[in-house]
Amino acid sequence: MYCIETTHLSHQFAPGKNILDDINLQVPTGSIYGFLGPNGAGKTTTLRLILGLLKKQKGEIHIFGQSLAQNRVAILRKLGSLIETPSLYGHLTAAENLLLLQKIYQCPKARIPEVLELVGLPDTANKKVSQFSLGMKQRLSIAVALLNQPDLLILDEPTNGLDPNGIIEMRELLKRLNQEQQITILISSHLLGEIEKLVSHVGIIHKGQLLFEGTLQDLIQKQQESSCLKLSTNDNARALQILQSIYPAAQQQNGKLALPPLANAQIAEVNRQLLQNDLEVYHLAIEQNDLESIFMELVKN
Amino acid sequence: MNATLFYSIQSEWMKTKRSAAFWLVLLGGFFTPGILCLIYMVYIEKVAPAYSEPKFWIKWYLNGWESMAYLLLPMGIVLATSLIAQLEYKNNAWKQVLTTPQSLSTVFIAKYTVVLLMMFQLFVLFTIGMYFAGALPAWYYGHVPYPKGPFPWRTILQMSTSFYITSLPILALQYFLSIYFKNFMVSLGVGILMVTAAITALSWRYVYLVPYSYGGIHFMQLQGRMRFKSNILDIHYLALIYFFGFTLLSYVLYLTKKEKG
Repeated sequence: MYCIETTHLSHQFAPGKNILDDINLQVPTGSIYGFLGPNGAGKTTTLRLILGLLKKQKGEIHIFGQSLAQNRVAILRKLGSLIETPSLYGHLTAAENLLLLQKIYQCPKARIPEVLELVGLPDTANKKVSQFSLGMKQRLSIAVALLNQPDLLILDEPTNGLDPNGIIEMRELLKRLNQEQQITILISSHLLGEIEKLVSHVGIIHKGQLLFEGTLQDLIQKQQESSCLKLSTNDNARALQILQSIYPAAQQQNGKLALPPLANAQIAEVNRQLLQNDLEVYHLAIEQNDLESIFMELVKN
Repeated sequence: MNATLFYSIQSEWMKTKRSAAFWLVLLGGFFTPGILCLIYMVYIEKVAPAYSEPKFWIKWYLNGWESMAYLLLPMGIVLATSLIAQLEYKNNAWKQVLTTPQSLSTVFIAKYTVVLLMMFQLFVLFTIGMYFAGALPAWYYGHVPYPKGPFPWRTILQMSTSFYITSLPILALQYFLSIYFKNFMVSLGVGILMVTAAITALSWRYVYLVPYSYGGIHFMQLQGRMRFKSNILDIHYLALIYFFGFTLLSYVLYLTKKEKG
């Protein structure tokens, strides 16, 4: 069961220029889905379409199994969001900002101190938001998104403006909400490293196209598949000739020789071959691409 | 009125608390009464005979409307309406409002209702202000008599309602400009331009076609100074037609806007 499902979602701001091209996003219920992509990849446009902030041009959007076009208000009742910069009224206090949304959601007033406590702003209820730092505004925006006890949280780069400690706290909070309250979370970021410790599923978007979608395990698998044996010798050109006769996939990469991942016995054999040909081996190691490199590779290709 | 709309209006009303629009309405309502009161207090000997006139309150109230009808009220509406709608743009809050469980119509109507209520508030404050500003010199100086007869509430209410109706076209068009255009200068610029044009047009034969001039026309009619007469409809009907027309246009364009928030 998917909490969010988009089918053939495309969007353009100017004729002939697709900002989104046939996006088929599937966010499983109960997951923390990391929506990754460099700046300008189409993340925010996708999220704005999912929230109904942009008029849909092509494709379908289903949330909680219901069509967004036909059930917008009912869907929004069970959803909390934070898109880009915080949406808060500077002339009002933190509690007043929450109170005016409490009126709309008609949730208990007791939720106001609860959510402020949850995001680490328990003593700021009567402070004007204009006096808040960006990090505090970001936390208050999360409190706003949590006010109605949503089943789904959509967060667009929520760690913007947070210090490293704040990022860790935010990560822990989101994990706790997901585990304890079974809230599905769709979180966008342009940094894989920032969310890889948080997410269970990943979608990678670039230039409006969804390049990868799957579990984090799938991505890690991809990482392992892309690991290779790297070596360097006193004569890499001759070493390459020798190795290519055994492993045709061997190639030169950034001043080193690269081979596909090999078993331990095969690595020992490679070493033996090089030594028998009077070559001096300076470096011989399995190098694994980190997830960030995989992400960059997907984006580059 | 359904519950969702009621809560939405409550929520929109709360947003105006301590906002620039709130202070503008508060100060705007008491500005003219304050100035008139000050003048009367300073020149009490000259104006004291007016207190003995039988229609003191009506004349006093019209005195207040002289500055309000042409300039202060239209400018106040231009500014207050722009400021209320701009609360969302200034705070990047449209996307928050439009992702709450309310229909787009509810959001539009709730905000519009708050603008109408704020203008109503301005009228109430102005009337209360005029009463106290008129009564204060009499209370303060023992030799100045308190105006004879009861305060003519009914007539004042009728006059206020008339002025309220003549202001509706300005409010409707300014509301549209403020919620449709992100740039505050569009609504403000058009507003200032239209108010200036309306004042200039008061001596024009077809001034009845200029929706921003109805307050001034109504005032001149009450004073018996209006040279031209509308050969189409009474200005109150014209004001209502403009009001509903602008409201409808604004509603349709708001609903069909491609990018919201």
